[in-house]
Amino acid sequence: MKLEEKLYTLRYKKDEEPHLSINDADKCIECEKENGFPMPCISICPANVYSWEDNKIIIGYENCVECGACRIACPYENIHWEYPRFGKGIALRYG
Amino acid sequence: MLDYDVVVVGAGPAGSAAALKAASAGKKVLVIERGPEPGSKNVSGAMIRKDFVSSVFGEDIPFERKVDTLKLSLYERDNPINIDFRPNNLVTTGRLKLDKWMSSVAENAGAMVISKTTGLNLIWDGNNAKTLVTDRGEVSAKSFILAEGVNALLSMKSGIRRDLNTENSVETVKEVYSVKKEDINSIFGFPDENTGMSWRFIMTDPLVAGFLYTYKDSISVGIGSPINQLVERKIRPEKLLDDFLDKTGLATKLKGYSLREYSAKVIPEGGFPNMNVSRGNVYLCGDALGLVDPLTFDGISPAIASGSLAGTAALEGYTPDIYKYEMMKNTEISKIAKERKLESEFMSGNKASEYINMISLLLKNWASGDLSGIRGTVIENYKNIIPDMLSFVINMR
Repeated sequence: MKLEEKLYTLRYKKDEEPHLSINDADKCIECEKENGFPMPCISICPANVYSWEDNKIIIGYENCVECGACRIACPYENIHWEYPRFGKGIALRYG
Repeated sequence: MLDYDVVVVGAGPAGSAAALKAASAGKKVLVIERGPEPGSKNVSGAMIRKDFVSSVFGEDIPFERKVDTLKLSLYERDNPINIDFRPNNLVTTGRLKLDKWMSSVAENAGAMVISKTTGLNLIWDGNNAKTLVTDRGEVSAKSFILAEGVNALLSMKSGIRRDLNTENSVETVKEVYSVKKEDINSIFGFPDENTGMSWRFIMTDPLVAGFLYTYKDSISVGIGSPINQLVERKIRPEKLLDDFLDKTGLATKLKGYSLREYSAKVIPEGGFPNMNVSRGNVYLCGDALGLVDPLTFDGISPAIASGSLAGTAALEGYTPDIYKYEMMKNTEISKIAKERKLESEFMSGNKASEYINMISLLLKNWASGDLSGIRGTVIENYKNIIPDMLSFVINMR
């Protein structure tokens, strides 16, 4: 089963404001040179939130399952990680 | 501005235990929860020790099945060694139901619980926090309890703790499959729908801890693996779960059943006692303190134990030293502190495969009646790790 199909099982409400962002885009370029593709944020994320396009990290924050691994894995502490506001984001049924 | 005696951030097991303790003492308590309802952001296997949870929250725990068998499969390459335990007192439970119930017990004791509300910042006056800023406004209190889970953003922003790093954290992914009661009973040979099991798997290279829990009409499976290992080897966690299901044959058992939920969580493998536990009138508990038993994976019991203590700490105005001392006196919490050494050896990689090879060799020699092999090869080669290995197997239970 594809990851996208797995993510469809989750109830999700989108916070219009992204809860994830990159502090400094230059660090990502450095990281790609240092670690090669896929970089740590891309490979650790179990929800395909991060992708690499035109030398930039693109964040699909609406896929996020709020585990926090990307923030821990980033070698440059370059991911600004907040919780979605107002009860938005994922809502688990089993948990 | 709203004003309380105690404000608790997070309505999980730790937060609800803290709120229950403070509200039962007659204090004015507010709990804020970032999810749409308590439990909706929380992930675990999940298995609990019934008598311990009851001792704090009362008898009517919403559980799924009793855990009559706890099976441990140690993989040395492709052939597992299986050990079965017959535990007492363990049950499986879904977090949404469990956490909602715990929160309702705290509410019945007088705590006010507000969900869909995220704590953003604490405002400090010297060494004491005065006000919590949330996405819905500000609230002030005499003391604050941060039961905010493993991503302890407020604790970190307040300088009470540092973030986890790749060496002391495990990424887990989990899937829940919808499986009819009768099918679960026939797959696992259960006599009825109250009988259930939990199954642990340990694999090496890469180091993977797998699990399976049977609920009433669903099965949860998942894996955890150290983040540094996943990052260094560029292993995707969901791919590791797929490989695990194939290797163990669980994929075949689950074939045809529909996936109901996919989730992920970071498990802290470091923290208490090697960190600050409080600052002024702000007390940390549960996952925010890294309180997950590394061998049993139980985070719920230590969350409840530390939450109750945080409630008392807020009532009594404990200093950090007293709060830490009281936690070390608690058996649920101190056993985690004692296991930290074994845990860090395990996380660094080599010990796990050493243990598993040794257990495997020991049992193979035993099964073939080769007692001199046990004495010669096993005892000689592994004598230094035997005490650690035995404590590993015993505590695993």
